Amino acid sequence: MRKPRLGHENLGLGVGLRTVHFSHILEHRPEVDWFEIISENFMDSNGRPRAVLEQIAEHYPIVMHGVSLSIGSTDPLNRDYLEKLKGLAERIHARWISDHVCWTGVAGRNSHDLLPIPYNEETLSHLVERIRIVQDILERPLVLENPSSYLEFQDSTMSESEFVCRMAEEADCGLLLDVNNVYVSSVNHEFDPVAYVEAIPAERVVQCHLAGHTNCGTHLIDTHDGHVVDPVWNLFRLLHQRTGGVSTLLEWDAEIPPFPVVHQEVLKARQYMDENLPAAQNMKTEIEPVHIDSQAIPHPASFIVAEVE
Amino acid sequence: MSQQKRKLEQLQRWMQTVISAPGGITAGIASEEAQREIPLLDHQLESVITRSSQQTSQERIGIYANAYYARLLECLSEEYAALVTAMGTAAFGAFSLQYLQKYPPASYTLGELGARFPRFLQESRPEPESQAEAADWTDFLIELATLERVYSEVFDGPGIEKQELLTAENLKAVTPEEWPDLTLKMAPCFRLLQFQFPVHEYITSTKRGETPAIPDPHITYLAITRRQYIVRRAAISEAEFFLLSCLHQGMRVGEAINEFAAAGLMEADQLAEQLHVWFKHWTESAYFTDVNRRDDSKVV
Repeated sequence: MRKPRLGHENLGLGVGLRTVHFSHILEHRPEVDWFEIISENFMDSNGRPRAVLEQIAEHYPIVMHGVSLSIGSTDPLNRDYLEKLKGLAERIHARWISDHVCWTGVAGRNSHDLLPIPYNEETLSHLVERIRIVQDILERPLVLENPSSYLEFQDSTMSESEFVCRMAEEADCGLLLDVNNVYVSSVNHEFDPVAYVEAIPAERVVQCHLAGHTNCGTHLIDTHDGHVVDPVWNLFRLLHQRTGGVSTLLEWDAEIPPFPVVHQEVLKARQYMDENLPAAQNMKTEIEPVHIDSQAIPHPASFIVAEVE
Repeated sequence: MSQQKRKLEQLQRWMQTVISAPGGITAGIASEEAQREIPLLDHQLESVITRSSQQTSQERIGIYANAYYARLLECLSEEYAALVTAMGTAAFGAFSLQYLQKYPPASYTLGELGARFPRFLQESRPEPESQAEAADWTDFLIELATLERVYSEVFDGPGIEKQELLTAENLKAVTPEEWPDLTLKMAPCFRLLQFQFPVHEYITSTKRGETPAIPDPHITYLAITRRQYIVRRAAISEAEFFLLSCLHQGMRVGEAINEFAAAGLMEADQLAEQLHVWFKHWTESAYFTDVNRRDDSKVV
């Protein structure tokens, strides 16, 4: 029988490490359970970002979350990138390394976006093969996240949840279930988010992501710029019931408030861990309040600005 | 082409072309590059991208197209914040759009996104009407971009924070007879730059939230380094710049001083005293990390 979370520890409630919070964290050393970093912001750093990370890693568990692995691309895997990823993981004792079920570019380019793939047998084989190669290079299981997406392909022959489940089983990798992404994609593609969460193999879920999104009227965009809405908390509660609890992290990447506000947001998760609360299924039709914004840009865009005297 | 035979690679090349087409998705779909991968008329898009009850296929792929330039422009605007102030948002956006077409992002890190922007501005500048023409607004913009990029590279590049630094006290161990034959190893984060405008002051002003006027030309020499993970910049004199440049090129101290004396930038009777002041200041500023003999062995 497979161990829960593929044997990884439940680290508790964590926060995405962002440069605007560096000074607060170093000065106050807040009682946050763990931090997740955007791997690419630190892999090549020889400056303050890397130095601060190494200090923080002495006091908190760190998880590495990437946005440029491009596991779904048809370009060759970038071995140099993977070696740097591995090197950083060893240096900061990263608990695990994650990225997304997506591609970011082809023909040598990188769009710096998490682009969707069609879900069919061909793409499944392609991803499974590449995940195995990456896992061999990294010498550890890869953890992959379901992306938010804004379109679907005619070439798809299976649902995203079926694809993700089969991918995890066949490649023997872990899953980072982003319940906000499930919700965003469920609205955009008109599927049942509860059925999605219920279909996921619970023991393969290593981590959960929470975030805010933007309602654009006809669709949702994953902007990471606000509070977590109730329908997403309900999916979190369902996931918690199914998994027994996994490391949970809040991402806040735009209009980032002071650290205590971000930390407080993830601590709300405790309210949804109570086993006596009503089952999530009863609340699946809940509608979120609408604040329409048609200018929203999907995450990710995380650029570190130089500090000059 | 039937969708059964459509390969993932074709689909990805097609989608990347369409969402990054500067003229929008309709132009992208019609482009030769996209047509080579998936021959398609705009109204046939549903054969590739499904529609939802709320959005057409065009609207759905349009989200990725809108995000592509918006996201990259946002990152460039953060790196070149002073340039945005100087050019204005619209002009900066237009130049960025051209830049991203000429040098599409290829690296896994956004840190490389703006690396060639100063070069692009240089390549895009109109030919001056005569060689003798005075520095103009275009020169100012190129120099501004150059310095902002240097700041980024120095900020996150190799530094000296984890090594023991030279002190004025250390240098007292070097005898006067030894000095001429020694070389100085400059810090990896040290940069020497010459500009036609005081672009460093313009950047500092914009970082304070001001919107300064474009300054008049004024030859400016800068020594830039990083200490305690913060980029430090100092305006220096032409004489100081000249001597530091010689040392930066690897000349021995004696050789550099001879070059300096021959350049006539300072009266000979001032030289000895000024050298003492400069070396003390450069040491305190950590411009160099080692003093080496001819065989590369360290003196201190």
